[in-house]
Formats: sequence, structure tokens, C-alpha cells
Amino acid sequence: MELFSEIYSCYYQVLRHLLTCQSALTIDEIRSQICKEGFEESLLAIIPKLENGSWNLFEKNHNLYLSKINSGFLTPLSSLQKAYLKALLSDPRMSLFLDQEQFESLGDMLNSVEPLWRQEQIYYYDRFTDGDPYTDETYRNHFRTLLSAQKHRQYVDLDYNSPSGTRVHHYYAPARLEYSVKNDKFRLLALKQVKNGRMRLEILNIARIQKVCLTDKYFTSQIDLNALIQDSYYKEPLQLHIINKRNALERAMLHFANYKKNTRKIGENTYECLIYYNQAMETELLIEVLSFGPMLKVIGNDRFLASLKNRLKKQMGMMPPKP
Amino acid sequence: MSNFQELIKNFSKTREYVRDFFVYGFKTRNEFMDKSPRTYDNERRRLESWLGPFVQKDYVSGGFNISLAIDSNLLDFNPLFRVWKTKSFTDNDIVLHFLILDLLQDGRSLTAEEITDCLLTEYEAFFDIQTVRRKCNAYQKEGLLNKEKKGKTVLFFLDNTLARWLKSNETVMDALAFYQMAGCFGVIGNEILEQLEQSNRSFRVKHSFFVHTLEDEILLALFDAMNRRFTVELEIKSSKKGLVNTANCTPLQIFVSSRSGRRFLCGYVSKSKRFTCFRLDTIKHAVSLEPSPEYEDLQNKLERNRRQLWGVSFQGTERHHLDVLTMTLQVEEPGELYIVDRLKREGRGGDVTRIAENTWQYRREAFDCNEMLPWIRTFTGRILSLECTAKSVEQRFYHDLQTMYQMYQIGEHTNGTVF
Repeated sequence: MELFSEIYSCYYQVLRHLLTCQSALTIDEIRSQICKEGFEESLLAIIPKLENGSWNLFEKNHNLYLSKINSGFLTPLSSLQKAYLKALLSDPRMSLFLDQEQFESLGDMLNSVEPLWRQEQIYYYDRFTDGDPYTDETYRNHFRTLLSAQKHRQYVDLDYNSPSGTRVHHYYAPARLEYSVKNDKFRLLALKQVKNGRMRLEILNIARIQKVCLTDKYFTSQIDLNALIQDSYYKEPLQLHIINKRNALERAMLHFANYKKNTRKIGENTYECLIYYNQAMETELLIEVLSFGPMLKVIGNDRFLASLKNRLKKQMGMMPPKP
Repeated sequence: MSNFQELIKNFSKTREYVRDFFVYGFKTRNEFMDKSPRTYDNERRRLESWLGPFVQKDYVSGGFNISLAIDSNLLDFNPLFRVWKTKSFTDNDIVLHFLILDLLQDGRSLTAEEITDCLLTEYEAFFDIQTVRRKCNAYQKEGLLNKEKKGKTVLFFLDNTLARWLKSNETVMDALAFYQMAGCFGVIGNEILEQLEQSNRSFRVKHSFFVHTLEDEILLALFDAMNRRFTVELEIKSSKKGLVNTANCTPLQIFVSSRSGRRFLCGYVSKSKRFTCFRLDTIKHAVSLEPSPEYEDLQNKLERNRRQLWGVSFQGTERHHLDVLTMTLQVEEPGELYIVDRLKREGRGGDVTRIAENTWQYRREAFDCNEMLPWIRTFTGRILSLECTAKSVEQRFYHDLQTMYQMYQIGEHTNGTVF
């Protein structure tokens, strides 16, 4: 079973789409499809092969290319893909998606397949222990309702207990379901209508939802979710200097790999890193920076620096440095 | 650059380049010391071709930096999956792929000879029988085709029941949309989705570390050995000095950090009679060797040892068998009890005790308490005391704290203000 195999290649994918087109294609249409789905230089490799007949998969009729393949062509699943599906069947989160009948059907079809891995072969050693209750029926129903609403752009009527204990009852348009590996929890990225018809992005823990109902109201306007997320980034990035001791550079680069960042070398053993972050993530980011100790030096922004200094001041007050 | 090819034969060289561009993203051409300039140019060009929209160029003195600017909060897919879709192939490979699979779509069973004939009569494509048979056997091995023997005749056929079932079950597609972002081997889920003309528009993953997909080939080899209970030989390139060495071990479990996405192989090294963790991104090759007769015993032993493990280190700097770390914290009650929740949630089984009003203690045994320090530091601002039976850990904590006070001029008089 090969993971790096041509059967999964981008070129095969592009060709499959060209070949399963119902109608004959002009070379310009083929070019346009390759540009859309292929890599940036795929055009240079694929077009000559089609034109000179090395890839004898089309009949050429004047200027038109007619596929030799039936439009209902379906690629069968490979052993690797089947083994992957079999492994997923044992994942506790799978019951959020599949009902009992689907579990049984898929299980039957994969009866003779060995799973690619088993749950007990993977150990998340630093995952939080209060993950979401995936087997709880109410939780599952909430999850499925939200997923359905998200896919059909439907508003939901939602009753929510915030972490501070406040009860919230509002209409939301689910934009995405966000999973946190560290917390082993799902959150809802939800759009809420505020004044002047504008939409605000809110993040709600799915496990804290008390009640959720689909409404007959649909979300029709086009909202750029990523623009909303980026708008929520703090105006100035976190500016760090990384002193490359105890392998701190590599550790920091990997640790902050999930943030949008920019790094440059500024001295023999010092690097500057700019990290762009959402204000709601500031405490989490501060904790992450603190965990590196003196290997990271916060230069700015002022607000972040002040929070860090405040923690250190408090610490010094509790445990003055030894003389 | 006339010989430039967008596709590649071997993944391992590219894996290192993509990782360097993604993880570091500040190296100029001259800083890729151990690579020739031409290799660098070709690899950079490929990277730009595969991952164009995510490639960022920053001009600096001495050239420009190429980096991959990927904000996982904004994406419904992992762009680095594209790197897995770059395997080169021959003209025969691609033509036979489509023609053989198309010919067998209706479920009929044919011999290699019959397939060869049909390719000529139905598609006007001439191939010799050996080539067709080799491809059919290869596809049977990959699982795309099935093979059955009737007497001395070998027949090939295709079964698309599973693909059709998946395609018609929307919730299964939803599951794949989720797992391609969040699970192990997400690239496989992503490929199934693409194959069935679906994509993810419902899920995002917080704390998603896209770069680790580059280790999936190694992970596959390790799971294969673990499933067969074989020992393995690992070729390891040290991340600090770049030195290459080999190690033999019995692979037992994959340890994953949800905070950095880093993955490790935890194995038993007979030579040193110890459990050891190897970072997956430092393993260059993994080869199965022989069955391990003591596999189950080692698994049980690891299970027992894991209770004293904090992260991935089975031995502390002071070579004690076990050390104990005790941290006392100030927690204003009831408003700051979320800190106590954090200790319980994140403390990996350590004891959490209220020892006085507004004062809580956390205590845990570990093989290597040094590994606990990054987590301990996250409580900066509340720590009343820290004690550890490994004195070097205690000293490092206080020394680092002192360095930070100096670094930020805490406690120093500046412009008449006491910080």
C-alpha cells in the first residue's frame, strides 16, 4: 500500500474530470480546466501529451477532443483507502455522523479489511481530559442539527450557557464547526446579526448548547467568513525575538506553525517572528509564549508586552528572586 | 532548467524542502548550505508550482526569502496535501489506468489477454499482454482490481460497490470532510473526497499543524510494522546537528502532542533495554525487520510506565528512576477556580489539593520532570513555590525566571517607576 502513488496524483484527477465530460472539448476548454485544477506548470506537461497522442485517451475530431471513457467512470477505492475507512469506524467521533445502519453497512463492506491503525496505537499525551461527550444522545442531536443548518445555510434558534454562566438565546447562522485537537471539543463559528444588518462572528462551545432548533429562515447574503476572522485579528502582530538555545527556534517554529507568521534572521543566533492572532486568543497565546521561558522575548505589541510584564510582576511579588 | 519536471519520483528529498520552507520560512538561497544551488532552484520552482497561492516572497538583503504563509484558521483543507499528489508516471501508466478501469466498470471479469484485446478493439489502443498483465497485477495489489482463479484462468474484475455507497451517503462524506482536517492520515480522506467529487465546506480545525502530513509515509511504515508486531530499523537524522544514524526497536505506540502536532514513535530498544521516543520528523526511513516475540509483554510494560511519563522522555537528567514535582499556587476563590480546573484538566493525573484558603497544591511523579517546565511556566504570576526532587529542574525554573525578570527589567528602577 503506497501513500505516494500516481493513482492519487493531481494529473490523474485533472484527466479524470476531462475524460468524464459529457461533451467534446476544445483545446482551450482543456487548457482552462488544467489551469483550474492542476499545478501552475501542469499545462506545459499535459497539453503536448494530448496533442501528440502519447496519452491516447481522446478521439480527435477536427478541433474537438472526444473522451474514450464513459462519463459514469468511477475510480474504485484502493486497499489503502479501505484500510483508512476501517480505522475510522473505531473512532468515537464517527457516531456523530453515522447511524447504526450505516455503521453496519460500512462494516460489512469492509469485513475482510484490516484497519490501517487502531485507536489504542495512538496516544495524545497532552490532550485535555474534559473532551466533548460524543456518545451522548443530546450532544449528537445538537451536532447533527448544526451541521445540517450549516450545509443548508439555515438559521438556528439557539439556547446557550456561556462559560461565565450567562444564558444566551438567539438566532445564529452556523458558519463552520471548528474542532480543537488540544481540547478535544467542537465549537460553532456562528454568525449573529447585529445593528445595521451587519454580521458578527461568535464562537460557541457545542457542549454548552442547551437547545437548538432549525428555523425556516435561510441565510441568503454572501459573507466572507475569512474576512470576518481576519478582521478580528489584533491590529498589531505579536513581535517576538527567538534566542536559538535549547533548540528553541525549531520548537517555536513548530509550536506556532498554526498561526499566520513571518520570521527573519536578525542576528547571529537571534530571529524575529511576527505572529498574527485573534484578540480572543490572546490569553492562550500569552500562556504559550510564557511556556518557552527566556528563550522567547516579547518586543511588542504594547498590549501583549504589558500583559506579560504584569504576570511577571505578580510572580515576583509572590516569590522574590533569591539574593 | 530545460530538464525541469513538475512531478517527482521520490518524496523524501522534497519532504525536507517543504518542511524547511514551511517551518522556517526565513532561509535565503545561500542558507540552504547542504544543497546545491541548482537543486535549490528546482525545488523552489516545484514548490511555487504546487503551492503557488501560499508561497510568499520577502525581499531581504542577500536575496529573498521564500516561505509558505498558511493560516490554518482560514482554510477548509490542508494545502500541503498537494505535495502528496505529485508522483511522476509513464505514458503507459496513465493510459492503462483509465482504459482498464473504464473497460471493467460494468463488473465483467476478464483475463489479461481479453483485456488486451478489448483495449485494441474498443479503444484503439495497442499494448502487449505482458504490460497489461503487469498493470492488472499491480492494481490488484493496490486493491483497485480483484483477481479470481477459475481453473488455470486468472480473471480480473472491478467492484465499485463501496465507492457508490460512499457517494450516496451524505453523512459519510461529512465524516470524511471532518477527518481529512482533523484525523490521522488526513490526506487519504482528502483523496477519497476528491475522488467522489466532494470537498469540505463545514469544518475547521483549531490547533491544526499542517506540516506533519509530511511524515505520513513514515507513519504508514510504522503502523504496518506495529500491526504485524515486527521490529524496525530506523534511519534517523538529528534535527540539531544533522547527523544520520540508525536504531533498531520494537515499535509500540505513536505519541502525539496536541499542542505542537509533533508525533513520536515510542519503541523498545533492546540494546539499551529502554523505552525510547523518536520524533517522526527526524526518521528518514523505517524498515520492518522480524517478528517481535515479546510484543504483548512490552505493550503491557509500556502501559504501566506511561503513568509516570509526562511527555516523551523516560529518563531525567539526574538519572533517578522517578522524581516528584510539587507546585503551590495562589488561586483567589471562588473567582479563579478555573485555574484549579486547568490543573485537573491539563495536569495529566497529578494530585490537586487545596491546602489552605486560596492556596492549592499540584503534585506529580514523573520520569523526567524537566519536561513539565513549559507547562509549569504557564502558571507564571501565581506560583508560590516550586519544589522538585530533581534539583536541576528546580534550579532551571528559578534561573529562567530570574533571566526573565532581567529581560523585561522587572523589579528594576526605570525612570523612577518600579515595575
